[in-house]
Amino acid sequence: MGVFVFLPLVLPLSAWPVARLAELHLHPRTATRLLTAVATVMALCSTLCLALLMVVGTAQLPGNPLPDGWSHAEVRAAVPHDEIAGQAAIPALVLVLAVCARTLWRHRRVAQRARRALAALPSRSVVVLPEEKPYAYALPGGRRDRVVVTTALLRGLTSPERRALFAHERAHLTAAHHRHLLAVRLAARANPFLRPLRTTVVYTTERWADEDAARSVGNRTVVARAIGKAALLSGGSPVPAFATFTGFAGFASAGPVPRRVAALLRPAPAARSWPSVFTSVGLAAWGAAVGTLVSAMSSANSAVTMVLILHAATPL
Amino acid sequence: MAQRDREDPHRPSRRRGQGELESQVLGALREAEAPVTAAWVQERLGGDLAYTTVVTILTRLLAKDAVARERRGRSFVWRPTADVAGLAALKMRRLLDGESDREAVLASFVTALPPDDEQVLRALLETAHATGGAGATDRSDAMGGAEATARSDAVGGGDGVGGADGVPDGTED
Repeated sequence: MGVFVFLPLVLPLSAWPVARLAELHLHPRTATRLLTAVATVMALCSTLCLALLMVVGTAQLPGNPLPDGWSHAEVRAAVPHDEIAGQAAIPALVLVLAVCARTLWRHRRVAQRARRALAALPSRSVVVLPEEKPYAYALPGGRRDRVVVTTALLRGLTSPERRALFAHERAHLTAAHHRHLLAVRLAARANPFLRPLRTTVVYTTERWADEDAARSVGNRTVVARAIGKAALLSGGSPVPAFATFTGFAGFASAGPVPRRVAALLRPAPAARSWPSVFTSVGLAAWGAAVGTLVSAMSSANSAVTMVLILHAATPL
Repeated sequence: MAQRDREDPHRPSRRRGQGELESQVLGALREAEAPVTAAWVQERLGGDLAYTTVVTILTRLLAKDAVARERRGRSFVWRPTADVAGLAALKMRRLLDGESDREAVLASFVTALPPDDEQVLRALLETAHATGGAGATDRSDAMGGAEATARSDAVGGGDGVGGADGVPDGTED
């Protein structure tokens, strides 16, 4: 097992270059799928390895609930620096599990509250709320997907822009972007090194919906204007609710909204499925793919080794 | 105890039921022509709700600013300040204001706009208006696109937004 058990904890670093380059050089759909898959696999591997280290760590604790045989010196010998690594892994794993459970719980609570808020209204796919604060949301709910939009926002947009807005929100629901977002959110909780991937995916899902909307209304400028106007309307409102969204310090100097508008004012990105290895982004993507593979193999190797050692150490 | 005994035992979900009751009570209030008492609401709803339940729901609606009350004699009279859609908007607003963790569920159309971004964005929209707007001319373009609508006083008032074109009339189920 040796050093392999530590690799998945740091291999997310291999995905940083592609997380940074994907925004400009990959189609948003490719970027979202690639980064979500990489983040999910790496988070699972990293958590598995934390669990393996935890087994080694508990071997040092007197009176631990695991089988006696697992405290055998041979188990501890499988990991270098077992004293430090094992002891650090216990609180780390507890923290990861607790934070992920809390994230899931809050996710469900928000979804439930949002659905309950709209429960009394007629079951249409579009809900227009009489409200002086301009906002629009896609609310996923299986067959009862809904787009929520306020009168204040609709008043500020022309009818082609409204169509762009609805096309954007529908794209979120059709492509189930909330699943990608939840996956990268949990992954970033499981291993903090995956946070840049989450930041990028939050942005690329919006870009993906923008591109789908541009295709369905057949006019990129209208979508750009709809986003720009909606942002200016929201920005002008004194209600501080949107301020909590600003944990989005990206790589580029401008925030996500101007970058989205600028991207829509450029020609549509090429929908290549996989970039050539001879470009910087291609190299970065392959780097992340190799990193993910190594991460999966290291954790599988460590898991198998650990199972064999524990099996041998457990008296039958 | 007595209140719970008199509530409908067949209701599938207690919390869901309360949300529906709020809408029913609000609907009854809106049918009244003048402020009415809780007893009137109870009678209006068919009498299978306990008086205390009606008062509880009215108090909850009061906390949400969906109804108002004033003292008349020894009791209160109630009047609605919001309709069912307005109540939904209030609930949604509370959710958005209260939850910082909502992005994963609710993918919003736009995120917050820092002051610097606002400048960049206005410049971009100017460019869009000057160069790319040819394919998408419409009414508001004539009056200066984003600049006009960015001011909240530029709102066009009474043309009922719900039925306007551009809003898909989604009737799925």
